[in-house]
This record gives sequence, C-alpha cells and structure tokens, in this order.
Amino acid sequence: MLENNNLKICRKLVRREFQFHKARSILLMGAIALVSMLCTFSFSLGFVIRDGLMYGHRIQYGSLSHILYYGLNDSQASALARHGDVKNTVSLRAVGVLSDDVMEYRSVKLAAVSPDWAEATEAVPVHGRMPQADDEIALDELTMQSLAIPPKEGEEVVLRWTPVDGGAERTDTFRLCGWWDSGMGATETCAWITQATARRLCPDAPDSVTLGVTLYRPGDLEAQAKELLYSLGIDGVTYTTNLAYNNARLRRIGTQSMPYYMINIVVAVCGILMVYSIVRISAGRNVRFYGRIKSLGMSPRQIARFMSQQAAYLCLPAVPVGWLLGFGLCIWVSPHVLLGMERHNPALLYFSPLPFVFSGLLTWLVTWAACVMSVRPVSELCPAEAMRFGNDSRMRCKNRQAGRRGRRRRTEISLMALSGFRREKGRTVLSACSLLLALVLLCILWTQYVSADEEKYVKAFSYSDYLIADASAATGLQRYNPWSCSITPEFMEALRRREEVTDVGTIRTMEVPMSADEEERAQAVAFYEGREQDGTVRKETMSGLPDWGTGYEKFRETGEYIGIAVGVDGLALSKALEDSGYAGGAFDAERFDTGKYVVAAGASSTSGISTLPVGSRVEIGGRSFEIMASVSHQSRLVTGSDSREAEFSLSYYMPAWVYEQLFPDSGIRNVTVNIDHNSQKEFEEFLCELTRDSGIQVTMRSDFQKNFRNALLHNYMIPLFVGGVLLLIGMLNYGNALVSSMLVRGKELAVYESLGMTRSQIRRMLVWEGILYGGVQIFIIVPVTSGLTWLWGRWWIAHSASAWCATWRYSLLPMWVALPVLAAAAYVIPQCCFRILMKESVMERLCAV
Amino acid sequence: MDIITVRNLKKCYGSGERQVRALDGVELTVSKGEFVSVMGASGSGKTTLLNMMGGLDMPDEGEVYVDGVNLSGLRESELAVFRRRKVGFVFQEYNLVPTLTVEENILFPLDLDGSAPEQGFLEEVVSLLGLEERMQSYPHTLSGGQKQRVAIARALAAKPPVILADEPTGSLDSRSGQNVAGLLKMAAEHYHRTLVMVTHNRELAQLADRVVYMENGKIGK
Ligand SMILES: Nc1ncnc2c1ncn2[C@@H]1O[C@H](COP(=O)(O)OP(=O)(O)OP(=O)(O)O)[C@@H](O)[C@H]1O
Ligand SMILES: [Mg+2]
Repeated sequence: MLENNNLKICRKLVRREFQFHKARSILLMGAIALVSMLCTFSFSLGFVIRDGLMYGHRIQYGSLSHILYYGLNDSQASALARHGDVKNTVSLRAVGVLSDDVMEYRSVKLAAVSPDWAEATEAVPVHGRMPQADDEIALDELTMQSLAIPPKEGEEVVLRWTPVDGGAERTDTFRLCGWWDSGMGATETCAWITQATARRLCPDAPDSVTLGVTLYRPGDLEAQAKELLYSLGIDGVTYTTNLAYNNARLRRIGTQSMPYYMINIVVAVCGILMVYSIVRISAGRNVRFYGRIKSLGMSPRQIARFMSQQAAYLCLPAVPVGWLLGFGLCIWVSPHVLLGMERHNPALLYFSPLPFVFSGLLTWLVTWAACVMSVRPVSELCPAEAMRFGNDSRMRCKNRQAGRRGRRRRTEISLMALSGFRREKGRTVLSACSLLLALVLLCILWTQYVSADEEKYVKAFSYSDYLIADASAATGLQRYNPWSCSITPEFMEALRRREEVTDVGTIRTMEVPMSADEEERAQAVAFYEGREQDGTVRKETMSGLPDWGTGYEKFRETGEYIGIAVGVDGLALSKALEDSGYAGGAFDAERFDTGKYVVAAGASSTSGISTLPVGSRVEIGGRSFEIMASVSHQSRLVTGSDSREAEFSLSYYMPAWVYEQLFPDSGIRNVTVNIDHNSQKEFEEFLCELTRDSGIQVTMRSDFQKNFRNALLHNYMIPLFVGGVLLLIGMLNYGNALVSSMLVRGKELAVYESLGMTRSQIRRMLVWEGILYGGVQIFIIVPVTSGLTWLWGRWWIAHSASAWCATWRYSLLPMWVALPVLAAAAYVIPQCCFRILMKESVMERLCAV
Repeated sequence: MDIITVRNLKKCYGSGERQVRALDGVELTVSKGEFVSVMGASGSGKTTLLNMMGGLDMPDEGEVYVDGVNLSGLRESELAVFRRRKVGFVFQEYNLVPTLTVEENILFPLDLDGSAPEQGFLEEVVSLLGLEERMQSYPHTLSGGQKQRVAIARALAAKPPVILADEPTGSLDSRSGQNVAGLLKMAAEHYHRTLVMVTHNRELAQLADRVVYMENGKIGK
C-alpha cells in the first residue's frame, strides 16, 4: 500500500494541544527554560575557560602568530607570505637588542615600528603613542621599571644596546613617547623607534627578518612549519611554534574545560527527569490520546513528527529565555573562574555562538526524550489497548470501599489517607531518594565550603600581610636593580607613620664578589658532593641550571663566588631566621646588633648546609664579619631575580643599619608590613595612592583573600551547582509526585463524592495524605543527611589533602533551607489540587474521557 | 466475493484465575456489499471482534483477512494506512479527538492521508446527521448523541469500503437511531459498502441482510 503521510496535520494538533493545556505547557516551558539556562551556562563557561587558557598559553609564547621564523631574508619572507596555506604574516626587522645587565632574563629588541607585529604581540602603546620624531621611543612597563624610567611622556631614556650587525655595545639617549602593559611581552618584546632612527643607528643592518605566520588551519604546527620551508626550498632557518596550539597543551586544555562540559550530562539527565515528571502527570491521558489518533490511521512517522514538533513548540519560547539567563550567569561567574582578567569580562571577550547552538540542541533533545518516554506504552500497545490505558482496574475495587467508608468520621478519613499514601509508596521512595542524594551531597559540600579557613590560607602563602617590592623586582623575570630606588625614604616614612601598621621589615640586597679558602669552603663542597636520601649526588640535581654549575665549579676550584649581602630588620629578619631543618651556631640578637656578626644562609638538609662554617670570617664591602650562625635560605624572602652569575651564591644577613653604612646609595628591595586587620580597607587605599605610577609592586593581603575566595569558588562552584540542580529536581519530583497522585484521581474522588462523602472530608483526606507524604520523607531525610554529613566531614578533615586550610565547621544549611519548603509544599499542594479538582462538577469528572 | 474472512479467532485478556476468553474460536465471513448485524449479551466479545477486524487489536490465534490482506502480516505503517483508507470505525465510546473541532474530527482520517473530501457527499452526510450547526464546536461541548453522530460522519467521510460500527445508535433516541441506521444502510447500498454493525436493538438488526449472534466469545446460531 502506498504510504501517503500528510505531515501538516501534525502542526495543527500540536498547536491545539498547546491551547487546550496552557497551564501545563507553561509549566513545561519553565522547566525547559531552566534546562536551557543550565546548558547554556555550562557550555559557555567551558568555552570561555578553554579560550582563556589558550590565551594564557599565547601570552607565554609572546605572540598571536602560529609560527615565528627567524633570520629570513627579504625574498624568503615574501615567498612565505605568498604561500597558499598562509593566512597572513607580520614581520619585524630588529636593529639591536637591549643589553643592560638588568635585562638579562628578557629579550627586548630595538626595532623600527611595525604596526602589524605590534598588534600580533600586543605591544601597542596604551599610554601615549608610537614614536614619530627622530629620538622618540615606546617601551613596555617591565622594561621601564627595570631601568627605573618614570612613566612620563618626554622622559629621558638612556639605553645600552647591542646592534645586530655585530657592532660593539653602545649607549643612546631617547625620549619616551608611549608605553604599554607588558602582558604578552613578559619574556620577549620590542622597543619601538622610527624607521629613520633605525636606519641612522644601524645603517648596515643585515637583511634579516623575523616573520610571524598565521595559518588557515592551526593543527600540528611543527610539521606545518617544516613543510612550509621544504615546499619553498628554504634552508637553515630556525623557527618556533606557538605553544597554545601544541597538541599536548590542547589536550590539557581539553581536560581542564571538560568538567564544565560534563555538567551537561548531569543537566541532561536531570532535565529529562524533570520534564518527564511534569509530562507524566498527564501520561495516561496522553497515551489514550495517541491510541485514539492511531486508531484513526495515524502512521508511526506522523506520530514521531507530532512528538518532535511538540518538543520544538515547547522549546521555541523557552530556549531563548534560557540562553539569556544562562549567558547572564556566565558573565557573572566567569571573572571568578578565569583570574587576572579584570579589564574585560571573559564571557563577552570570548563570545561564541556555539554554546547557544549546543544548548538549544541539547534542550530540544531533552524535551523530546521526556515526551517520548512518557508515551512509551503507545508503541507497545495496540490502539485498542492504548485507548483504555490508565482506566485501571484497581479503581473499581476502591469504589466499594469508598461507599462503605464515606460516611464515617475523622479517624477513618486519616485511615483512607493512609491507604492512599500506601498506594503511592513507589513514588514516595523515589522522591525521598532523589532528595536524599541531593541533600547529602549539598550538605557535605557546604560543610567543606564553610570549613575552608581564610586565615590559614593567607598564612600559608605569605609571612606578612603586605609584601612591597621595588619596581625592578616586581616579577621573577626582572633582575633586581639595587640602584632603582623606587622605594624612597619618604615612602618608608609615610608607611611608618600609619597607625594601623604594627610591624615593618625591610630587605636590601647587594651582590658582592667574595672568596673563601680551602678550609672554609670544605663544608659547602661536602654538602654538594654528598648524596640525597634517594642516593643522587646533590650537585647533580642542579644540572638543569648551567649557570649554577659554572658558579659552583669556580667556587670549588678557586674559592671565588658571589655573596649576597642582605640587610634585614623587623618582620623580615624573623622570617629569615625561621627554623627549617638544619641550623648551625646560635643566633643572639644583642651580638647581631653590634654589627660585627652576620648570619650565613645557604641550601640545607637535615644533616648539612652549604654555608661556610660558623666562626669563619668574611669580608663584605671592605669590612670584616664573623659568621655567628648558619640557617637555611628562605626562598620566599625576596621578590625579583638575582643575576645569572649569582645563581650559585651564599647570602649573609646583617642588620639594616650596617648594610646602609656599607652601601649608602642602594635602594630597598622589599618591605614587609603587618597591620591591624580592622583597618585593612583604609590601609589598602592608602597603599594604592602611595604606590600609584611608581612601578612599586604590592602583594596585598586582600590579593590572597581574593585568591582564596576564587579558589574556593573554583573548587566548589561546579559541585555546589550540580548539587543545587539535583536538589531542584528532587524538589520538583517531590511536588510532582504529590500533584500527580492527586490529580489523576479526579474520577475516583468524584465517585467518593457521589457516594456521599462531603467536600471537607475529601479535603481533609487529601491534606492528611500530603502530611503523611512529607512527614515520612522529612523523617528519613533529617537523620540520614546529618549523620552522613558528619561522618564524611570528620573523615575529610582528618584525611583529605584538600583540607589543609580547613577548620571543622559543621553546617546543614542546605537542609534547613529545604525542609520548610518541603513541609509547606506538603501542606499547600493538596489544598491547591483540591481546589483544581473541585472546579469541575461531579458529573463532569465522572464522565471525563 | 468475501471481503472479510475471520478464521478461528481467539483472544484472552488477563492471566491465571482472572483470565477472560473474550473470543474463543470465531469463524465469520462477510461478502462485499453485505450488511451484517452482530447481536449478543454484554461482554460476549462483540467489540473485541470488531477491533480485530479493524486492525486495532491483535488476536492470540487465528487470522483476519480484509480485502484479501492478512492483517497480522502488516507492518505498523501499513496498518495505519489500512485503518485510514479501508475501514470506517464508529466506536462505542465515540473516540473523538478532543482538541479538534467537529469538522476537523470528521475530516481527520482524510487529513492524515493528505486527500481532499468529496464536497457534495460530505455535505449530504453532515446534513443528514443534523450536524451543520455544530461544525465549529469542540467535542466536550456536545451531547452523547451528537458525539455519536460526529463519529458516524467521520467513519463515512473517507468513503472506506468497510464500515465497522460498534453500537452506533446506543446514545440516540429510537427515532434518530432509526435514521442513523437507515443512513448507514443507504450509504452501504448506494456506494456498495460493506457494513458490520453491533447493536442491541432487534428492530435495527432486522435492517441487515444477515444477523449473527455472539455468545461467550463464539458465533452462535
Ligand atoms: N482490555 C481488557 N482487559 C481485560 N478484559 C477485557 C478487556 N477488553 C475486554 N475484556 C473482556 O472481554 C470480554 C469481551 O468484551 P467486549 O468489550 O468485546 O464485550 P462486548 O460484547 O462488546 O460487550 P458490550 O455489549 O457491553 O459492549 C468482556 O468480558 C470484557 O470484560
Ligand atoms: Mg462493546
């Protein structure tokens, strides 16, 4: 027989279905909007996180280009630019490299302005502009801070640099015309001058271009980079590829953003359950409806179409609402998940339409699956059976009982309620289980969340409330410049005058060449030639640092080494002396203050230390000191880096006033400050004001607090979110089971009524049923949830590594919030159902099709 | 020529002690153009038999041939087409689609098939059944008798070769009942349709060419 399926009829049926069951449809749309919101949120967040991590890797690489080729000549560069796989290129022609000592950890090229290159490496002046006049220069902030150049237009800039044409190092003077935040250029960036200046400074610059290449398809960059050179027959050119596109990194990014996509599985499953539990209320009616249209000749294809259109019809208004809400949530949350992006909201910066497409599809699927699930019997039953579906037999035998019981008094009403409640045992258990699952999860997470201890966390990360760093020691990529002096005596004066300041410490350092005789260096040599517990020779573990190796060998053979004179006082001194493993000699504050003694610091283990022995004499800055004690070197004492030469070095702590006498012109490297925490806000405002535009780096107590809160959010947001969704679903299930157990009995209640039961008796019966239903579940939930939470929490505090900054606080807040809602619902829902049921007359309900 | 052949049809509902033999070896043939009345006590299996002939239920044993086709050999989609083109079913409980108007209900089987109704014939049926005034109403606003008449109009609209009517006059007064039965008979004769009608009314049954009696799931004498 020829099938002739008119599919248009489906649309009409869908529309009518909607008109006839408005309340239910709107409820469904609400649930669907919720699903769509959750999907949009987690997809968007996953995307934002992925893009944010990618951006982080690109910052590390220092360029947005996929491949960088070095040392090309002009014809090679233009050949590459014309290649079919290449989307676009940016090129740089450097005339030299800044060669000041303090620049040794970074590579800053002196180059003629290349706007494309500047764009691709985010080296575009944010303040001021690119150079236009002959002696103008634009720099990045890190370079300016290292060289102690104040951020002011027109400021004089004296640069030591080495030309690329092989000439000797030279010094030139420029005027500052613009600067930018170093962001992407932490390790490598440019100092921009005009074309004319570049030609003047380095007229014989070789034909050498650095080319940044962006490809159409950024996959397997190593292979593509090689293939490009091979296909053009270019030889002997070096290149690097962008780490952000490295396969292993991409995979890692994938795994890092995976949890956010994974939420969607939970959302989908919960969503199906939620939508299903709403649709299920009228499942019987729906099955009969499908049986009816099937008996009139609706084909399976038409029925399938009908269902999918129904899902689409429900999704159409609900999904956009979910999109908006979900994306809004993402905008709100993403800055807390992707740190260090204060300027732009990551959700807006990395906006992509894909999450919306995905969430739309997923939501539709969820709706469709729930609709299909609810009418599953249709496909298994013959139309004749489907049409009778749900007019179940158990009702018939109830009728008789109702007849006998209807006229009795109150106690019997509660008995009837009990039997009604018993009939819904399955649903009650299901609802209690889903509620339990959600509440136990939430309470456990909540207890962990409130147990997290900010004080413990902050203490673990910083020994003082504030750590202030000289501009040239703001990051580890900068070599500390003792002459930068951005922390001025006036600054210290202002700081000390603040009332809330309880403790101040300063640290000054200076690298000085020193030497030790054979006897004196024996202890240190023995330490490094000795073996660690696992059997490896200690000096071998340092093989990753070639400069250290050179320094050590020199020390071992000749006794010459770099000593670091450290002038410390206050808080910093106590940190420096903090016990950590081995200590030799004894520290005596009074003798230390005489200025005749120093404390030696070096690498240590439980059995040895790399310093000269206690009692040896050392000469620093022309003055002789006796080593009073030796302690383990505290790496977190100072910020910034020492020179490469000082990779192998020994530190000598001396009182600040002695240091000042020895090196009167050197600046302060770090200042540590403790304050009265009650005035934290005022003090931070004061500090911000004091350090504005000075390049001074302040690590604030509030930074750690912010980190702590963000870490907390990062750790608990997703689980709490999932728990919240589960609870919501559990609550909906709870309400739904109650509603549907009552609404499907319209006919049964009509029978009771027609047999003489009064309305108030019916109402009482329903309310009793609700109270029983809610009471039993609450009775189970309270002890189980509190018990499990307590057990798990104690175990977690005692054994989990993630509890290192936690103090046990037992809280069942989520449960205390949920319980009143559950109790109220158990009382209110039956009343509402009663009202709805009683709207129709007895006859209408008895005859209901 | 036989259009419906029912052979050794058996159907049980339930299991164990509560098992009910709704059909217990029914044998029946209906020739093309014939008008057969089915009578029998309540619960004797009349509706079950009609359902089997309309492809709405599957027998446990035995076969049903309609127009030479074995119904148990059809796939779901073929059954759907069979239901909408080959038979017009008047259900004992009307089975109107609640979300469609009377007119849409009547045209539903045609709409499913994507074919157009024969206008003249349709108007004639509608006016004979006295439904002109209620064409735009929804089923829940109709009386039992009106619903029954809509169900009859729906069964006739697609001009199917076989009409199966399960107590089509159960909710009508005896006068309307006579009219409706007359209409069915006329339609059957006029358009050469086959008509199987279940009824409890002896008078109406006499309109048929043949009356069969059912008893405990069997065709009696
Ligand atoms: N789905 C079912 N489940 C259980 N028993 C059924 C089912 N459908 C029908 N029956 C039983 O099968 C027997 C035949 O039912 P059927 O509906 O065919 O009777 P009927 O002759 O049409 O009666 P009536 O004149 O009252 O309509 C009855 O005993 C009925 O109880
Ligand atoms: Mg019957």
